Amino acid sequence: MSYLRIIPSLLISNGKLVKGINFKNFKNAGSPVTTVTALDSQKADEIFIVDIDCYNKKKLEPDFKLLKKIAENNTPITFGGGIKDMIMAKKAFSSGADKIFLNSIIFNDEKIIEKIAFQYGNQAIVAGMNIINKNGKYFIMEDSSNTIDPIEYAKKLQKLGAGELKIIFVNLEGTKKGIDINYSKEINNNVKIPCIFEGGIGNLDQLDLFFSSGLISIGLGSLITFSDYNIVKIKHHLINKNFNVRV
Amino acid sequence: MNIGILDYNACNISSIYYSIYRLGYDPKIIKNSNELNDIDRLIIPGVGAAKSCIDHLNQTGLFNEIQEFLATQKPILGICMGFQIFATKLYEHGLSKGIGLIEGEIVPFKKPNLFNIGWQDVEINKKSEIFKDIKNNNSFYFCHSHYLKFNNKKDEEESVGTIKFGTLVPSLIIKKNFMGMQFHPEKSQKNGLNLIKYFLNWSPQ
Repeated sequence: MSYLRIIPSLLISNGKLVKGINFKNFKNAGSPVTTVTALDSQKADEIFIVDIDCYNKKKLEPDFKLLKKIAENNTPITFGGGIKDMIMAKKAFSSGADKIFLNSIIFNDEKIIEKIAFQYGNQAIVAGMNIINKNGKYFIMEDSSNTIDPIEYAKKLQKLGAGELKIIFVNLEGTKKGIDINYSKEINNNVKIPCIFEGGIGNLDQLDLFFSSGLISIGLGSLITFSDYNIVKIKHHLINKNFNVRV
Repeated sequence: MNIGILDYNACNISSIYYSIYRLGYDPKIIKNSNELNDIDRLIIPGVGAAKSCIDHLNQTGLFNEIQEFLATQKPILGICMGFQIFATKLYEHGLSKGIGLIEGEIVPFKKPNLFNIGWQDVEINKKSEIFKDIKNNNSFYFCHSHYLKFNNKKDEEESVGTIKFGTLVPSLIIKKNFMGMQFHPEKSQKNGLNLIKYFLNWSPQ
């Protein structure tokens, strides 16, 4: 049986680790290389790294040099943030990414997933979905027309060849209010590819609730970056609650 | 000892490179043909899709050179895609012909999920020395959509380690001078490093 996956989700900007709330107000959170080395020795199951400078149009491509330094460890790395063509995908893989994260580019170029997958395999593509909840209705952040149903979009991403989905609840992101478990389950039940959910987990009880619902992969931002918790503490807590985690 | 890491245009090689470097060796990256002659141990890593990997190996002449290397009895470690290319046929992104050391085909998962991504405990089928240094558990990191299906049930004995993912998935194979791992030892933290170390000291029977 597979172990539950605890995946620290790190944002970088200008070579530094940062953390914000609802994708805004980013604060410096230290050195990415040191943090990743620590997470590696704490036995994080994977590490997710996104460079946000391309979204803010500060740069044309994510920080591959930094990725190269980070990837010297022995923990699986997913890297993204502005990867928009084969050349950048290639740079990411040759700099040490095991998987790449594609998000808004899929809106402009649906075929990009298969193009990259043809060389690197579908398992190496994580497709992102930023979900916004407006008065109980769910939308995709990048969809300005507000007409795409996120469940249908998840199915579409699977069909386009994504090996995995990363779903972020934008309203909850950084708030520590807890994650949207019901909607996570609804997405998960509609696809046959692994789904990583993120946004809102701020304490261990919320994590218990998430895993009790049968979901198996969680992305953690605030809980890791700005708190006294670390992977060792989190995993020991989960083991005491009889969850199947790897220590 | 000269350790070669094959870079066939579809790989993340930095983790495997640094894993070996930290164990005290200075591995050589092999990109072209005619570079395998002075290599004592060959590692074929893998993040890739079968068809484009095998096409590349054929175009560069490396496919034949791997076969020749296999015949020299020097140890080879194949990881993930680098393991799967030793089967007879592969079906990822179109049909391609493998090296054929392992009598089996590489076929896609259908259930419970199309992808096996994450950590699993590898069950050891034989009394093998290979896991002797691994204390707590045998968990390793997997990331794949296709798996090895043996042509004959009796060949399953070649599998030293397996996992279950909807079906039985051969995860560690030792045959002649070849060691194949479906999981990623270079991404499996301490447990993985122990296996890499084992391979570097391994004398095939």
